Amino acid sequence: MYMKKQQLFSAIYLAMGVTLMLGSCTKLDEEVYDQVLETSFNPTENDIPSIIGAAYTPLRTVMVGWQGDFDLQEEPADVIVTPVRPNGWYDGGTYQRMHRHEWTPTEWQPVNAWNENFRGVNTVNRILSQINEGSIPVTTGKEALIAELKAARAFYYSQLVANHGNVPLVVDFKDTARPKQATQVEVFNFIEKELLENIPMLSEKNDNSTYGRMNKWAARATLARLYLNAQVYTGTAQWQKCIDQCDEILTKGPYVLEAAFKTNFITTNNTSKELIFAVPFDEIFATQNSIHMKTLATAHRNVLDLTGQPWGGNCAVPQFIDTYDPDDTRMKDTWLQGEQRNVRTGELILTYTKAVPSIENTGFFEGFRIGKYEIKAGARSGLSVDYPVFRLAGIMMMKAEALLRSGKPDEAAVLVTNVRKRAFLGSPAKATVTGAQLQLGSSYRYGWQNTDGTIAEFQGGADIPYGRMLDELGWEFAAEGQRRQQLIRFGVYDRKIWFNHRPKNDGKKRYLFPIPQVELDKNPNLQQNADYR
Amino acid sequence: MIKLLAGAGIASWLCFTPASVNAFAPDLPFYKKSPIATKVSGVVKDAKGDPLPGISVLVKDTQRGTTTDGSGSFSIDVNEGETLVFSATGYAAQEVKVGTQTTLAITMQNQNASLDEVVVVGYGKQKRGEVTSAVATVKQENFTKGFARDAGQLIQGKVAGVAVTSASGDPNATTQISLRGTSTLMASQQPLILIDGIPGAINTVAPEDIEAIDVLKDGSAAAIYGTRGTNGVILITTKKRGSRASSVTYEGQVNVQTIARKMKFLDAAGYRRGIQEGVFPANFDKGTSTDWLDVVSRDPVSQTHNLSIQGGSATTNYVASLNVRQWQGFFKRSENEQLIGRADLNHIMFDGKLKMNFNVIGRNRNYFAAPNYSYIYRQAIIRNPTDSVYNYAGFYREDPNGYNYDNPLRPIEEVDGETTVNEMRYNANVVFTPIKNLNVKLLLSTVKLTSLTGYAENNKHRASETSRRTGYASRGTDYSRDNLLELTGDYTRSFNLHRITLLGGYSWQSVTAEGFGAANSNFPTDLYSYNRLQSGDALLLQNNTVNMSSYKNNHKLIGFFTRANYVYDDKYMLMVSIRHEGSSKFGENYKWGNFPAASIGWRINRENFMQNASFINDLKLRGGIGITGTVPSDPYMSLISMNYNSTNRFLYNGQWIQPIEPVRNPNPDLRWEKKTEYNIGLDFAIWKNRISGSIDLYQRRTRDMLYNFPVPVPPNLNGSTMANAGEMKNQGIEVLINTQVYQTRDFEINSNITWSYNKNTLVSISSDERFKLANPFFDAGHTGEPIQLITHRVQVGQPIGNFYGYKSVDIDNAGKWIIEGVDGKPKPIADAKNEDKKILGNGVPKHTAGWNLGFRYKRLDLAVNMRGSFGYQILNFQRMYYENPTVKEYNMLESALDKVYGKTRLTSPLSYVSYYIEDGDHWKIDNVTLGYNFSTSKVKFIKAMRVYASALNLAVITGYKGLDPETGRLGMDPGNDNRDKYPTMRTFTLGLNLTF
Repeated sequence: MYMKKQQLFSAIYLAMGVTLMLGSCTKLDEEVYDQVLETSFNPTENDIPSIIGAAYTPLRTVMVGWQGDFDLQEEPADVIVTPVRPNGWYDGGTYQRMHRHEWTPTEWQPVNAWNENFRGVNTVNRILSQINEGSIPVTTGKEALIAELKAARAFYYSQLVANHGNVPLVVDFKDTARPKQATQVEVFNFIEKELLENIPMLSEKNDNSTYGRMNKWAARATLARLYLNAQVYTGTAQWQKCIDQCDEILTKGPYVLEAAFKTNFITTNNTSKELIFAVPFDEIFATQNSIHMKTLATAHRNVLDLTGQPWGGNCAVPQFIDTYDPDDTRMKDTWLQGEQRNVRTGELILTYTKAVPSIENTGFFEGFRIGKYEIKAGARSGLSVDYPVFRLAGIMMMKAEALLRSGKPDEAAVLVTNVRKRAFLGSPAKATVTGAQLQLGSSYRYGWQNTDGTIAEFQGGADIPYGRMLDELGWEFAAEGQRRQQLIRFGVYDRKIWFNHRPKNDGKKRYLFPIPQVELDKNPNLQQNADYR
Repeated sequence: MIKLLAGAGIASWLCFTPASVNAFAPDLPFYKKSPIATKVSGVVKDAKGDPLPGISVLVKDTQRGTTTDGSGSFSIDVNEGETLVFSATGYAAQEVKVGTQTTLAITMQNQNASLDEVVVVGYGKQKRGEVTSAVATVKQENFTKGFARDAGQLIQGKVAGVAVTSASGDPNATTQISLRGTSTLMASQQPLILIDGIPGAINTVAPEDIEAIDVLKDGSAAAIYGTRGTNGVILITTKKRGSRASSVTYEGQVNVQTIARKMKFLDAAGYRRGIQEGVFPANFDKGTSTDWLDVVSRDPVSQTHNLSIQGGSATTNYVASLNVRQWQGFFKRSENEQLIGRADLNHIMFDGKLKMNFNVIGRNRNYFAAPNYSYIYRQAIIRNPTDSVYNYAGFYREDPNGYNYDNPLRPIEEVDGETTVNEMRYNANVVFTPIKNLNVKLLLSTVKLTSLTGYAENNKHRASETSRRTGYASRGTDYSRDNLLELTGDYTRSFNLHRITLLGGYSWQSVTAEGFGAANSNFPTDLYSYNRLQSGDALLLQNNTVNMSSYKNNHKLIGFFTRANYVYDDKYMLMVSIRHEGSSKFGENYKWGNFPAASIGWRINRENFMQNASFINDLKLRGGIGITGTVPSDPYMSLISMNYNSTNRFLYNGQWIQPIEPVRNPNPDLRWEKKTEYNIGLDFAIWKNRISGSIDLYQRRTRDMLYNFPVPVPPNLNGSTMANAGEMKNQGIEVLINTQVYQTRDFEINSNITWSYNKNTLVSISSDERFKLANPFFDAGHTGEPIQLITHRVQVGQPIGNFYGYKSVDIDNAGKWIIEGVDGKPKPIADAKNEDKKILGNGVPKHTAGWNLGFRYKRLDLAVNMRGSFGYQILNFQRMYYENPTVKEYNMLESALDKVYGKTRLTSPLSYVSYYIEDGDHWKIDNVTLGYNFSTSKVKFIKAMRVYASALNLAVITGYKGLDPETGRLGMDPGNDNRDKYPTMRTFTLGLNLTF
């Protein structure tokens, strides 16, 4: 009996003694070491750059990321093609579908465009909500900061309105309901309103403090581009509004045309006085500019002693190359062609030829390569060249096109001539273009390209209204991710045959890409764009 | 802290099993006087009359005992009226009440399906006859003989419902275990593996050191392990002193390997014929002949040695073992060297009231992990067979235009690397038995795992050339600590025909993982290898091949559990259990959950109405239900956290600063998956246990399934959120039949057959309103570059593992694929639309079977293990990529030049079509082992000696054209037989076992 009591006693003692400790051994708080918890992050004003930085960094993948906007705008157009090469580039037929306008709602390029642009929109909304809640302590310049973020959001929407058109308009980060879809016109109106409201608060500076960010001029350029395409987006042309915005930049902005075309695309192009808005890249800190990796043949690394191994994919459509005036120096400044020799030894490594037999089968070195963006010797897999979105020449050409379409061809011709001058330094007479010329057709030999390079089903470009203006845009802005929108504005996109592309003629223009299937699946409020239902 | 926790544990155990407090009541036999003893001696023999060494002789209800020596003799002090218990694994225990006799002659009877066999269940042991859930046991004597890479291979094909696959020939690879199909999308599909109760891996202990492996298959058995139990629990019991005599045992083996199967690629002569036929351009003939697979491979020779000693008395005893292995892989320099030491020390004091056990396992593994052998395999098979390894100048030949086309020998030869993994496992457990039948057990364990990796590419490496650098080197180290405290109490009481066992416990586990790595390049010399990272210039050059990283994370798991077993008259059995468990990985709102289970058993043969059916030795019907959980693999998934991004920076005022970005879409509602499993089973034994076995039927339903659910963008930042919103169902049947086909003194044949069938259905992927999907599917799996297509579709109403793509039905005259359209009519692949894609098969076998045969003639024995899988398909990546004559830049399979569908050669570019999906049905003669046990009764120092020869992966009967139809079953893309692989090997082993 004694033992029994002792046992009971000790049990009770134990139970009492340690019940006190129970709290600590049912504790399941996470101990976090290598992440910053929102609850433990108390930003000061010094943290603001890091916080707003996240609103801009998605731009890199938006514009030139793998299967990003660059490919989205060039692959469906008539300047660049990605043919099957000995080392691949069939990739499930995606480049061929892009070329033939047979993309599906699961096609990577438009899916990426949606995701990355909305990443930008959502990030802006998140930061705006943090500023409103006071969790980011902005004391000075709060109004300007909010205006800048809203302008950045408008820029992302200006991409979305062009590519997907009917997209959700989200402005409140806290609203986690599945958003409703807006029409392309509503999105257009939203962008216009946001930009007009916020432009007065934006910085007018053009220096390090605004480089790569939304200042007043970048916002106006966004607006000008929106107006230029208003007829496509909304059915109502806005030529004068476009001209007005261009004039604001041309007359009040701090930008000048660079003497050399190339200055806009060199490794240190951040010093170009022509760039209004560029996405900054760096071979170490922001490495996504791999335009050269996609275009150069693998063996090209022995030309420039590259540290990366290029993938050898896209190249120029020969029909486009044929449109250049032989004296136009932009031809050499835009395309790598002919013999490529090692930069140190002069040894012949390879020769790029103009001919591209077919999108289905093309050799390693066939087709001229994108050489517009400087690939310095020893370059890595990411270039330090910043990606120009708006440059002064673009503003001049936007205004010229708007003037031309408003019945002022001679005024337009002056602007175009000014842009052309630096490309014809050896033959200045050729730089001049007249209003009458701008109203002529295009010199592009539209038609089906046979594998031997001959053209079948010849259409030509003579019937294209203002076709010469389209050619001018092509020569100046080839490989700048603008061609798809140009072809749409000039009525070529859904009408002409080029390379291995034939128009569908099925009553569907496909000016908009399909809403990504994955988003339709996730958000029942979304409806597929009309051409894809 | 440990002390405090232990105390708290006791307290909580007390709270959870109030019944056991009463257990303190009975009188305690602490100071019992011993009556006068007499010495009893005797000999123990088996049914054939051979003396049996190592038989445990124990005085019942005491700790006094001995074991028989080499001639089967024993001698022990016994009090009159006491009972001696003779026992050993594989024999039916015998009890002999000691009267006045002083010599005993004992004959032990073999036991194949004994009901008294002890089965390890969660936190305890149970007699086989009383088990009410689906628990499978494989004892040492039934393990696969010969070479086994880890514990998984020991039970391959022997447990119905457990599929053990070894899909890689890498000497460092482990087996992959899948139990009762896939029941989770996201979390690990590996079962919980416990080594003597402590979490570990399938390769933690050497196969030679394992006594038994128990598998808790159904939910009612596994629920005691709460959130870790969903994929089943594998309990590995290491060899204990237990009932064996003092001895020294040596086990050694040496093996050679050959590649099990080679794909028929064009050799140099075939390639040249291809040139003549215009398949390859004429200038592709490089003038030599090279068998590239030969260049990178060798005939591997491996050895394993295991030495163990055991001894001591009934109160203090030990087992210690040393396991050394030196395994070579098929590819040059591929190897795995391992040393495992284990010591297990037991001490019993206070007349058996206090038992202490200390166990230390040290594991040291060294291997050359530098090259990516799977990729090297690809390079070897696709390389031009007319090309040579070196050029005239003695440099490696490379093709400057080659994309993913590298000299395969170079990344093996021009690297240096070593990975060292050290694992130390310390555990102590103390069992206190204050009164008869009450045990209080405290277990403390810590497992420390460190690894150190070094890797260097010298200046001759291709990456040095292509990346314009002079060498590259990196080092990395990882460290993890897994601390475990468990306090359990169990109490057993029998009265009249009733027997009750109660268990209660508390478990606290904390796992911390951290690591550090650094890399540099541009070294002035190759001589430093990875041993002087600071010599690299990359840091100064701001080259992006300089790299530093570190991480640290922690998660905790705390559980309270209790279980009660009740048996009436050995006829009716009941088990109920519950675990209340919390994990720090879950969201704020759902830290804790309950995991209950219940099962019942009915021994029908003990009913009166069965008395006449005397040929039935056992017939037990059992049924159970249990709820288990699954935790996400990574911690912190529920938290709102952010990180600075150092690689995608923001240009702020001319400075590249790091933006801070959210890591993921947070989900404070993140919680465990819940799997409810029903199991009905029948155990039977007939004709004097000649035929025995079991049949199990189960249904498992996983709810609140974790997945990275696609969420709309906007409003979400990222396109997916980790959430609980799916439901999956598995239904199946498992059959085990053991047969003693023939048994005489000299000759016996035994057979063990397992068969299982599983049907998996994804019931829903959007039961939660917030994660509602417009379409009931998502895609998984990828062909890789350059085909770049999704291979699988995970679809509601369908099983996991469906291949999804174009169904090729024909080829046109031009050699392009013709596929079946959505309307069922053929159409050219050029016109294929997304909606033409179809389900093309499934990569998870529906049937899995094993047949293990054992023959013995006198001292010669032969074991044949066969197993197979049926009812599934494999996507043959090697054919998909290399059976296409349009790809001239790489070597191709001989079959690439064949006519497709007997019509014409293929001209379509590489594509993913059903032509490359093949049936995977196969039957493997997996292991054949011939052994001989020498008679040692006349040899003084040797107690036992055995030699054997064994062949592993001997033959496979299949129509599959790839290397091995045994592909991985886990994940969302099972059945993808990737082109990059470490081919599986055929292993021939010679072994010797010696016991002194």
